[in-house]
Amino acid sequence: MASLETRYALRSVRRNARRTLLSVLGIGIGCALALYMESMNRGRDELFARVGATSGSGHVRVVPAGWRARRDTRLRLADGQADLQMARSVPGVAAAAPRARAQVLLAMGTHVVPVEMAGVDAAVEPRAYRFAQKVSRGRYLEPGERGAVVVGKATADRLRSDLDDEIVGTAVGRSGSIESAMFRIVGIVETGSDEIDLSVCQVALEDVEELTGLVGAGEVAVVLDDWRSTEAARARLAPGLARGDEAMTWSELNPEFQGHLEQDKATSRFASGVILLIVLLGVASAQLAAVLERRREFAVLSALGMGAWRMVRLVFAEAVALGLAGAAVGLALGLPFVWRFATHGLDFRRWMGSSYSFQGVIFEPILYGDLGPWVVGYALGVGVGATLLASLHPAWFAARTDPAAALRLAP
Amino acid sequence: MTQPVLVARQVTKVFRQGKLEVLALRGIDLEVREGEFLALVGPSGSGKTTFLNLAGALDVPTSGELLVLARSIAALSRAERAELRLRSLGFVFQAYNLVPVLTALENVEFVLELQGEGATRRRTRAMAVLEELGLRDLAGRRPGELSGGQQQRVAVARAVAARPRLVLADEPTANLDGENAEILMHLMRDLRDRQGMTFVFSTHDPRVVAHAVRVVTLVDGRVARDEEKPGEAPHEIVPGLGKSSGAARV
Repeated sequence: MASLETRYALRSVRRNARRTLLSVLGIGIGCALALYMESMNRGRDELFARVGATSGSGHVRVVPAGWRARRDTRLRLADGQADLQMARSVPGVAAAAPRARAQVLLAMGTHVVPVEMAGVDAAVEPRAYRFAQKVSRGRYLEPGERGAVVVGKATADRLRSDLDDEIVGTAVGRSGSIESAMFRIVGIVETGSDEIDLSVCQVALEDVEELTGLVGAGEVAVVLDDWRSTEAARARLAPGLARGDEAMTWSELNPEFQGHLEQDKATSRFASGVILLIVLLGVASAQLAAVLERRREFAVLSALGMGAWRMVRLVFAEAVALGLAGAAVGLALGLPFVWRFATHGLDFRRWMGSSYSFQGVIFEPILYGDLGPWVVGYALGVGVGATLLASLHPAWFAARTDPAAALRLAP
Repeated sequence: MTQPVLVARQVTKVFRQGKLEVLALRGIDLEVREGEFLALVGPSGSGKTTFLNLAGALDVPTSGELLVLARSIAALSRAERAELRLRSLGFVFQAYNLVPVLTALENVEFVLELQGEGATRRRTRAMAVLEELGLRDLAGRRPGELSGGQQQRVAVARAVAARPRLVLADEPTANLDGENAEILMHLMRDLRDRQGMTFVFSTHDPRVVAHAVRVVTLVDGRVARDEEKPGEAPHEIVPGLGKSSGAARV
């Protein structure tokens, strides 16, 4: 059975039913809005992580020593094979794709386009690089296929080239000499974004090795089943890498991208904060009114020997009751919207077309909210946390009640 | 000679209202011994309630020395005064001041819970007190469902449930009709006689004063008269509700 103090707190909450209902409704609406915003934030996290990771960086990327500072495509892993094996042994890894990059001048006839050529393992690359699945004409590379290239449509257009055309790739070799190789276009990728299309140029990893004279992979892109385990995967991966090689997360690889995400989240959290502040002030006002109305009663409790901290606890118990009720209302009001957001998403096609790109990443125009067990804890945290915060001043006021003065008040 | 439960020496109390100073007590000298049944009388504004508030450790004197159960009120912190009230003092208010959302039984239990009594013990104790005061059948009712007289009896039950050594009652019969006032005074007197509790109560009502063993008259914040009724038989403590020691003589 609940203690008398708890029963007293619960019954006190019901004393002024209309005020309590309004408070609970206010907390509930605040909770529901905060839930929706948080669902959006989490959905955005997931979207950024997914599109960022599958646009080339991977959730985690193993890079050579010095790459973090110089971002030099000529750097190679100390032991690419060992790193690859290590990456594939980490639980939750969906794909680990080795790559070697080179700055290459593609040419056909008199037309030239500078690109960053990626030498890949065609057997695993499509699982790590979603644009590999966007081949609009021709096909993707076959595993082990040499002398073949897949380019973006914008690159092909600038070269005035088409499928089965042969183009020349020229790069600086290991010793500084100019090296060239011939490639046949087997596939053209069309993403809808020229910026992205210009970044697509994939050949067999061995072709890049041969062209540059640099042996081995320059990176291993690791794609995870669950983006939330990015840090955990990096932590498991890092100690097992070859000497000098290190693991970087997608957000470290794309700081501008991460900055954009943080800015978006900060904006929506600020909006949530403003909403909650307004709710909090309303609840604080209602709670203070409830305490003021009961000044004489608090004086009596004090006269009976109730200490200040116990009085604070009493007001907090009432706040927790209000907060729990508010959280329940918040869930009832917010869940249908969050569920719809999570299942149908928010469609931005009207404003941005079928997709838009930022920092070399193509975003889907439909943003899906996140829905999971976290909503219950979040609603409880927001509801109870907000009412406890709102009750700080009323609780302090109750605890400071001067019993002699308050008892002089008319009953 | 029994132990004094309350000793006041030149106690003054000044209330400040802005720049105005109101001298409510102008030097009270009083000693209340254990087991007394003392009435504080005097006109309105004479300082009765102020003195009861000081005696109940609800407030502190401006100057002078006030010892309640041998502890100087002025030297105690807020928390210590609350503890003193909880462990040793009982209050009965003019306006009953029961907690409206709790039943009669819960109101009585509340003090025991504050003292840390377990649920079963406090319930048994609270029920026994209510029964002693003839309120057993009303235990489940909330204050709003009780008459004024019944509420004040519940308030007395709450005040004495934890067996305080000193019970302070501020105009306890002021809101009661004559019959209920009589019942209440008999109850309080009976508790004092059987348990040796010390009662100090303020009143304007001559019928209530008639029950007092000692009558202290305050005028303008000073003790104007202190009369003890002659031939008042020493009370006996009978087993039951009460404590087993500390028999007092008035």
